[in-house]
Amino acid sequence: MLFLGFAKAEAHSLKSPCTTHQPLQVLCDLCGCSTSSGSFGFGTLSNANFVGVRYIYQNFESRNGIFEDSPLSKETFNTYQVWAQIPINDSFYVTASLPYQDLTRDFNNIKENLNGIGDANIIGWYKHVFYKKEDETVINFSGEKIASGHSLQFGLGVKLPTGEFEQRLTDNINPGFQVGTGSVDGIFSVGYNYGSDTFGVNTLLSYYLKGENKNDYQFGDQFSYAVNFFTAIPKEKMNIMPFVGLSGDRYDTITQYGETLKDTDGSILNASIGTELAIEKFIFGASYTLPVSQNLFGENVQSKQRLSLYVNFAL
Amino acid sequence: MKLLKYTFALLACAVISACSSDDDATSTEDLSGQTGSLTLKYDNGVGDQDFLFSTSYNKSNSESFKLDNVKYIISNVRFTDSNGDVFMYPTEDNVFIVDEEDGNNAGEIYITLDNVDAADYVSVTFGVGIDQERFALGAEGQGDFLDLADEKGMMWSWATGYKFIRLDGTYTTSTVIDEPLNIHMGSVGTSLDNYKEVTLDFPNTVLVRTDKSPEVHIKADIAKVFDGTVSVNFADGYNQVHTDELTTGIIATNISSMFEVHHVHND
Repeated sequence: MLFLGFAKAEAHSLKSPCTTHQPLQVLCDLCGCSTSSGSFGFGTLSNANFVGVRYIYQNFESRNGIFEDSPLSKETFNTYQVWAQIPINDSFYVTASLPYQDLTRDFNNIKENLNGIGDANIIGWYKHVFYKKEDETVINFSGEKIASGHSLQFGLGVKLPTGEFEQRLTDNINPGFQVGTGSVDGIFSVGYNYGSDTFGVNTLLSYYLKGENKNDYQFGDQFSYAVNFFTAIPKEKMNIMPFVGLSGDRYDTITQYGETLKDTDGSILNASIGTELAIEKFIFGASYTLPVSQNLFGENVQSKQRLSLYVNFAL
Repeated sequence: MKLLKYTFALLACAVISACSSDDDATSTEDLSGQTGSLTLKYDNGVGDQDFLFSTSYNKSNSESFKLDNVKYIISNVRFTDSNGDVFMYPTEDNVFIVDEEDGNNAGEIYITLDNVDAADYVSVTFGVGIDQERFALGAEGQGDFLDLADEKGMMWSWATGYKFIRLDGTYTTSTVIDEPLNIHMGSVGTSLDNYKEVTLDFPNTVLVRTDKSPEVHIKADIAKVFDGTVSVNFADGYNQVHTDELTTGIIATNISSMFEVHHVHND
């Protein structure tokens, strides 16, 4: 099972508003709802088309009170996701994901559980592939252009409120303790990929324009970024692709009833290590992510670690 | 390609509609006749630390204190809305004892106010202790509060009146260790008036509605009792504060500076 991976680790983002306030509640988007965001990646390293399932385990610690020594609560987020990258033609493809969230919060040994379908997202992508310049002294008999390995992707998508947003949970310090944000969010992405036979780079920048939900609650806009470096080690029956990456998110302040809430913005930078394993049509991936630096919700929420496992079937 | 174009057009529409907002819905609401409840959450701390019984806290002049009792009286709670109008909670019910002993597992003491007029409130005002007008109602006019205050040890005799704040514990200085510390500050009958009021602005508007019960989280910094507007020393007689005009007056002034609204929840 170690093989499951993270797909491109594009930006791991915590979405922001996950916590809200108790004084500091903060985080919602950050956590539960963010697993569909760019910092977690929308696909596999090789940018292949696939359908698959992904499991993401994350945990957080939130200060439960307004004092420096206020007790901590521990939040564990298990996300089971169906995801896919479906080709439309040579230049266009669509990525989509639908998560099931299973969230647990442990405070003073009292456990609170929240589970259900989370927020789905769907993004349409245009991929621009760069080709090598024709060398006029060499005759290309095939007549086909040769790919240079460089490509750009532009994505436009939406995150849908398929998960339930519960207003009462915004009182938690970790606003991310929600299975959904209740809002329709716009997603704008641009990516650059380079891949040769032995080495590749994936980068992705995403901006989430957060909508307001029915409770007049609006998570702050989010900017996610991710870069992954991978290499390919061909074996007899499989292709091993280890990778390392950096990713991060910046969250704007949460707005409620048209007013901003204090200590609801933040940023996090993560480092990831993982690998993919391609065996025939199957791609297994695994990645482990640790925060390098973070300042979330007035430092009232701390991301501890993240594990991601996936199995994709290449189309 | 047609399908693609439609797909993108649809996505673009979804994105744009998602981002348009319909703000200011609250400003035009008709709130007349509507009431809701509002909770004040008092949370005692010492500086940035949560307050705990029997824990030693340092103050100025190399002195420290440990407390087993932290209680104070809050009264005359009222709220000012965004139009400048004031809602006063009914006088007969408008007096409370905040006792650390009654705190929940997070150490917060709740005062829940029902039937508050629906409005967009921007600040709260309350008194610490009992004002002369309420005291003038006589023992009969105090209602159930007299018994409560008695039970909580917040009374001297009726003639002397209420203790507005009660801190009991021990203190340590450079010369003595764990000597008794008792701060029992109040007015003294009608001859000395230590009642003071505090007005705190809300960091976000507090929306009281029939279906919304906002919470106001008030942080009370016990350190300010001794190191507030004026810094006082146990060694200089502030280890026992009872009815003395000078020491009670300074403690009353310090206490009126110990509150802040940390945040509010609109739910």
